[in-house]
Amino acid sequence: MKKRSGRGVFVFLCAAPAVILFTVFMIIPTINVFRMSLFRRSAYSTTEEFVGWENFSRLMQDTNFIRSMQNTILLIVVVTIVTFALALVFAAILTREKIKGQNFFRVIFYIPNILSVVVISAIFSAIYDTNNGTLNSLLSLLKGETVAILWKGESMVMVSLIIAMVWQAIGYYMVMYMASMSSIPMSLYESASLDGAGRITQFFQITIPLIWTNIRTTLTFFIISTINMAFLFVKAMTSGGPNGASEVALSYMYKQAYTNSTYGYGMAIGVVVFLFSFGLSALVNVVTKRKTLEF
Amino acid sequence: MKKILSVLLAASMVMVMLAGCTSTSGGEGSGTTSAEGAGTAAGDTAGGDEAQAGTTITVAAIETAYGSDMWAQVCEAFTEQTGIEVELITDKNLEDVIGASMKAGDYPDVIHLATGREAALTETFIKDQNIVDITDVLSMTVPGEDALVGDKIAGGFTETSLTNPYGDGKTYLAPMFYSPCGLFYNAGLFEEKGWTVPTTWDEMWELGDQALEEGIYLFTYPTTGYFDAFFYALMYSVGGPEFFDQATNYAEGIWDTEEAQTCFDIVARLAQYTEPTTPAQANDQDFTKNQQLVLDNKALFMPNGTWIVGEMAEAPRADGFEWGMTALPAVEAGGDRYSYTWFEQAWIPSGAEHQAEAKQFIAFLYSDVACEIFAGAGAIQPVLNISDMLTGDNQLFYSIYDNGAKAAMGNFAAFTPIEGLDVRTVWFDPVNSLVAGTMTEQEWIDGIKAASDQMRANLIQ
Repeated sequence: MKKRSGRGVFVFLCAAPAVILFTVFMIIPTINVFRMSLFRRSAYSTTEEFVGWENFSRLMQDTNFIRSMQNTILLIVVVTIVTFALALVFAAILTREKIKGQNFFRVIFYIPNILSVVVISAIFSAIYDTNNGTLNSLLSLLKGETVAILWKGESMVMVSLIIAMVWQAIGYYMVMYMASMSSIPMSLYESASLDGAGRITQFFQITIPLIWTNIRTTLTFFIISTINMAFLFVKAMTSGGPNGASEVALSYMYKQAYTNSTYGYGMAIGVVVFLFSFGLSALVNVVTKRKTLEF
Repeated sequence: MKKILSVLLAASMVMVMLAGCTSTSGGEGSGTTSAEGAGTAAGDTAGGDEAQAGTTITVAAIETAYGSDMWAQVCEAFTEQTGIEVELITDKNLEDVIGASMKAGDYPDVIHLATGREAALTETFIKDQNIVDITDVLSMTVPGEDALVGDKIAGGFTETSLTNPYGDGKTYLAPMFYSPCGLFYNAGLFEEKGWTVPTTWDEMWELGDQALEEGIYLFTYPTTGYFDAFFYALMYSVGGPEFFDQATNYAEGIWDTEEAQTCFDIVARLAQYTEPTTPAQANDQDFTKNQQLVLDNKALFMPNGTWIVGEMAEAPRADGFEWGMTALPAVEAGGDRYSYTWFEQAWIPSGAEHQAEAKQFIAFLYSDVACEIFAGAGAIQPVLNISDMLTGDNQLFYSIYDNGAKAAMGNFAAFTPIEGLDVRTVWFDPVNSLVAGTMTEQEWIDGIKAASDQMRANLIQ
């Protein structure tokens, strides 16, 4: 009996640091965000006025907020689909095919991931430059006449963000999939090819189902990180412009909370984003649920 | 024994983890220096403050094109004069450096910033009414001198809506480093082509057509943020000070007047003459590319301030390039031309601990010693007879008011924060869309009218 209670104390003390830290730095601030979303207050002032659901009802009529949510959803959908498709294809090629310089490509694809967003935005500033940028110069060369696409202009700015975000994320997920793909026994592919299955059939029938657990986990990670990364990219590359065309939910939240002195309103946006990411993760989890295959 | 050891280890783990939660002081971040020097007694104060020598105040100043050395020197001179020590924080992104500690209730004693910045920290404090009234500083003697602060500051500077944001006759923000804003151009190009700088908007449009034939656009702008000074001067030149006052106080029906329509028409027409890549580069990262357009003779004019010379000092430029600056053209021949007087502000947050010493510091900023140090770095204090200290390009720029242009000062009146609404997104950001052609002039005006109604209802009286 004595031994058991001593063990209890030990377990309690071991768990205590994590529990305390989690409570102090996660649970309490989150509750605070929910609480502050019901108040009118500014970031640097201690005075606050209870306004109930007013912040939320204003949000629903705020066209700038609606546009920023639309942009966020667009980024989540397009960046996720493109990144995952490309990462899987590249990973399959690098693990299954015999090409020269495999390691070289692996490193090249991974490099964007270790660069900071500020460096990436500087690189893309040079790529997207209208007059001397790499992209327009390349297109001009192909087309034979001067191409002057405004990559950071109102109509193209979201496409530009998508390209930069995909470029940044691909390598990391490719390496993850390569790791799980290389653990699939070669015998499976050999027997499939004896049965007449081509490369593409093998990819969809063997590779994808066998690394599904990995894809599922990374998908949830990726959706959450896209919401966060979108903020960084927007802040570094476009500041939300031109005229709010590239504003995403978190950059709009930041603007409202810190530069417009409407902290409570910003927190209301925070609550919406919190619930949105929570809901989306849960949805993705349910939709992608499959029977785990073993080999 | 083993069990006791385990318990001890676990306990120490808890302690170490929690140690991270305790608050620490000091280590303010980048650019922190401490000016120390032998102290004499604190300067005389006519305002009856009890500034004490030996106290240490924290001064947070934005590092701009003028650099941060001048601040270190001024702080040192202040310590020498008054015995009050200064812990100086300077950074290009000052708001990020001091923001976190301010949220925790730890405020610098003096903050030097400019309005119109992306982070809008000064505007936030104005809206929150979190700034100390410094009207009494104006009747204090400048430390080390006999003159009163109010007598040294040039006329008009302490009567604008920027320094007296609540219109109650009290001064809350001290005017610092003024700079005439206007349209900057390549004087060399005008000479080469034999063009004359337009004095009316009609001449401007004519020049625009003429230049376009040679592949040069009439106009560009760094970011839409630069339209504040431009739009204020435009309002002055179209309707005079009375119209400006009414407009910046969101008077009812003001945006339906003929004067307002003229302002909107000029901006909308200017948008058509703007270099088309401008909006795509009008962000904090690429704005220098827009400024480069003028240096490369791809655009003729851009709204800017005198700091542009230092900011683009290292940039390549067309042969024979020479900076020129002009006030905004008049609406009709012989009409008034205005140049907006842009200035930065120093203020004391209400949460500051050493307010008496902070006021001493602000008073010292207008001393001859400080003005000279600032002028050495190109920062011109709004004090009388400062023109003697000007050199180089600055002589030309600051003489704009001697050459017939009138000074425009002030800005939109402060209002209590409105969710999802601020001046820049309503008035100036849409210029990007006007240039791109994705918004009509009427849509822009409708947005302004709707916002103006809300701002009027929330005016801080």
